Amino acid sequence: MTFLPAAGLVMILVGVASYYATRSLHGMSAFSVANLALGVALILIGGVAQVRAFRGFSGAAPRRVALRALAILFAGFLAVISLVVASQSWTARLDLTADELYTLSDQTRALCAELAAQPGAPIELVFFEDALLAKDVRLLVDAYADACPQVLVRDASRNEPPPGARELYTTTATTVIACRGDVCDPLGYPSERNITGAIVRLASARVPRVYFLIGHGEIDLASQADGGYSGLAGLLRDQGFDVRALVGPATAELPTDADVLIAAAPERDLLPEELALLDRYLEGGGRLLALSEPGLRSNFYSEFLLRWGFNLEDGVVVDDSSSPLLEDPSPLNLLVHLFAPYNPVTRTLSRRTMVLMPTTRPVGLARKPAPDDRLERVAFASARAFIARETAMALAGRGLDRPVDAPETEPPVAATGSYPRGDVVPGTETTEREARVVVIGDRDFASNRLLDALYNRDLLLNAVRWLASDEARIALTDKAWTPNQDPLTLQQTVAYFYFLAFALPETLLLLGIYAWWRKQA
Amino acid sequence: MIHRVLALARKELRQLFASPIAYVVGTAYVALTGIYFFQHLVSYNQLLFVYQSEGLTGGGFDQGTVPSQINVLNEVFVPAADDFGLFLLVVLPLVTMRVFAEERANGTDELLLTSGLRPWEIALAKHGVTYLFVLGLLAASAIYPAVVVARAGLGFEHLFALYVGQLCYGCAIASIGLACSSFTSSQIVAAVLGYSIPFVLLDFAWLTNTVSEEVAGRLKEIALLSHYGSFPRGVIELAEVTYFAGIAFLGWLASLTSLELGRAR
Amino acid sequence: MSARIEAQGVSKRFGSVVALDEFSLDVAPGEIFGLIGPNGAGKTTFIRILTGYWLATEGDVRVDGVSVTRERFRVQARLGYACEQPKLYADHTVDQFLRFMGEVRGLGGTRLRQAVGLSVERMGLESVRKRRIGVLSKGFRQRVALAQALLHDPALLVVDEPTVGLDPAQQIELRRIIAGFRGTHTVLLCTHQLHEAESICDRVALLDRGKLAALATADEIRQGGSLEALFLARVGRAPEVAVSK
Repeated sequence: MTFLPAAGLVMILVGVASYYATRSLHGMSAFSVANLALGVALILIGGVAQVRAFRGFSGAAPRRVALRALAILFAGFLAVISLVVASQSWTARLDLTADELYTLSDQTRALCAELAAQPGAPIELVFFEDALLAKDVRLLVDAYADACPQVLVRDASRNEPPPGARELYTTTATTVIACRGDVCDPLGYPSERNITGAIVRLASARVPRVYFLIGHGEIDLASQADGGYSGLAGLLRDQGFDVRALVGPATAELPTDADVLIAAAPERDLLPEELALLDRYLEGGGRLLALSEPGLRSNFYSEFLLRWGFNLEDGVVVDDSSSPLLEDPSPLNLLVHLFAPYNPVTRTLSRRTMVLMPTTRPVGLARKPAPDDRLERVAFASARAFIARETAMALAGRGLDRPVDAPETEPPVAATGSYPRGDVVPGTETTEREARVVVIGDRDFASNRLLDALYNRDLLLNAVRWLASDEARIALTDKAWTPNQDPLTLQQTVAYFYFLAFALPETLLLLGIYAWWRKQA
Repeated sequence: MIHRVLALARKELRQLFASPIAYVVGTAYVALTGIYFFQHLVSYNQLLFVYQSEGLTGGGFDQGTVPSQINVLNEVFVPAADDFGLFLLVVLPLVTMRVFAEERANGTDELLLTSGLRPWEIALAKHGVTYLFVLGLLAASAIYPAVVVARAGLGFEHLFALYVGQLCYGCAIASIGLACSSFTSSQIVAAVLGYSIPFVLLDFAWLTNTVSEEVAGRLKEIALLSHYGSFPRGVIELAEVTYFAGIAFLGWLASLTSLELGRAR
Repeated sequence: MSARIEAQGVSKRFGSVVALDEFSLDVAPGEIFGLIGPNGAGKTTFIRILTGYWLATEGDVRVDGVSVTRERFRVQARLGYACEQPKLYADHTVDQFLRFMGEVRGLGGTRLRQAVGLSVERMGLESVRKRRIGVLSKGFRQRVALAQALLHDPALLVVDEPTVGLDPAQQIELRRIIAGFRGTHTVLLCTHQLHEAESICDRVALLDRGKLAALATADEIRQGGSLEALFLARVGRAPEVAVSK
């Protein structure tokens, strides 16, 4: 090795290092370019000099040995390149994340299988490599490409994205845009749920429609305040639903395209005509999600829901066993973690997947409208909970101590009902139509402030999907395994820091000095 | 055959730990990783505090108001693993530079190559011991993250994937350094080469603006960093392990070639 | 147990530099054979080819009929090599080093222990057995080099400049040790000290600029008075080698 190539290497090293150090400011600087160019030139000059000075492997045997060694190296190089290229098409991967974040759920796989059976243009996931989340999302996007023959991944940096995707691209916050032909979908945060939602939207011939009943003091669908439902509306749109408002008092007949009707805690009475309208809707196989709140006394609860088998008693569920887990110690904030294990709305939830419900009304069951109807309580507060009957007092924070004679039962906070109507379809066990109702005793859990809390979103989406007969995609949740707590206190962090960042290296250094001293001795 | 390799490996280990460089490298790496891990942990702590403060004003639901992507893995382990990879690049050439070059400079290669040892055995023992050293280095640096994981009750699988990635990455860098060391008798030259080659191969970002997109894409495919990203995220991909194993194999083959060429000179 | 060395037209060229030129040699089993010549004469080059460290440009060396070009590991199994300015691992103790070399030579367990013990005893290394090689005197290091070469009881012992830098007492002691192998081992002794070759070798070859300049038996040396006189008579000039006694 002569001086020139070594100097050239050093210059390249400095050129590359200076590029990495300042690339966020101005990309490639003149200093980096000069070093790289000079470095390459020196290596070339030095290399040529080396080759000219090389005296060769004289003699048959040395030449044979040298050639064989070089041939083996070259063959090894080719073999490794082939193996690495081949390996790029292998999909073998070990997903060791706690919730298998990068392994597609059965629901997505089922959707992929459905898509594969359908004719039509493939769905492209346009991937932006420069995006902030690119490294995390790449693994997920690759999983789609592996599992779904109808889904292709297009790297936006290498292949020109479709015009629709270019229009939707905003900043480096955009990681993936899903497109089918010229139609593109911005899909939001690139989680499995949202990517699959976008695929569903692009693949669906018909978009299921969700109506929000308004006109009786329901939560505002457009409100972006903490208590508003703009987040919920956005979530449903992201999941492939067409979301619309329906002004109850002004409606003579419910639209025939209403897949799901959501009554988000009406505060005032509904007109008798409206109640009759709702009855007709359900009798015709309609689907209703009813939310409530302690203290609401609308006839919607006391007449309509009662008629359909739900008894929303007055009162507030109080549970002091929930509070230690929360920052706010109020026993009115329920951490609901007991769920009916076989009901489609709750079977994906468990003790580990809690739903946070502040101020919740108990949801009991009443008489079934018809003998074949099925009513089931599906979510419960803990056995420590009780129902405070004096709602106003409880909401004011008084009378929240558990009475000594309170029964050791788990107050229900959500229930479902299914109502087969019409004749049985020959050859099946199903009837011509089936009405479905889900009642949840709290409206705040789906508000902007709490929709993303714990597994609130899952309960809500499960309910809507069951109501929309879209059971296949129930439990397509964001696998956000979120150890959001700080694992160490600051004191512990510092204590470990002293030991591991100082004491351990210090020991190693002392051992090194001892080794050096021994060598010198 | 294998006992000759083991004997040589024992000798390499003895020499490695008789020299202060292994301890200095160990000290530097453990200290750097510890300090950076601590910094990330403190930043995460502060981030949580910000979110929790917001949560307090909004009603106090601490767990609910922190977005799901803000978690200890995303905010501490992934960025820390990126730093750790860079530190490996900084410290490993200091260890690999002497492995073959010192032997050649002292003339002890003559002792080995005339004692019946096969060149592949020599290359295997030297590479193996260096990889073992990388493993030890990573084990020492893993104590801090492991303690955090244990305290948080998170399960070690994700951390395992992260360290498998570090091991693959470290062994690839070490094997490049060893190959460089085997072609020279100067430790300085071996170090310069051992730094330059992995640094140039890192991600080719410095080159991609000056070449066509097609070439840039190909370059990215062979870049070291392109194959490292999945491990910190908890995924071990066979393709990526194959890539790093391929580099390690080529490094070993290059060392072997240099020994054969030395005989034919 | 001793071996025959046959070198046939061995040449070694480094580009235009000829280090060894058509060199042929036949060393009988049990013989102590001296290879003398000035610095750069090609002695070490020949030894490196014989031990399989380098490949000959042309020609071949056979040890007991086994070609070093084709089957160097079989040749290496039959020879022990103590190279010039002993290249040893300074950070090993004598014991560690000998054990390592024994293991490399395929010894293990009791055989290794016995071989190390025997070598240590033969070379008088008991007193320094636990000391690091880096702190030993040059004489002891030469002995360690010889001890490792003898571990596997080779048929052929190749010794390159064993007494360079040693004091007279150490030189005498080392020569005594090497002379002790006569009859039981073939020894190829490479030196540029005439009196050393004179005193212990059965035959001596003079290498000059890569070529075999002259060959003399012990009897011929005795009859000629001295190696210097003999070579003066045969090649017309005194070899450019050390003659200090």
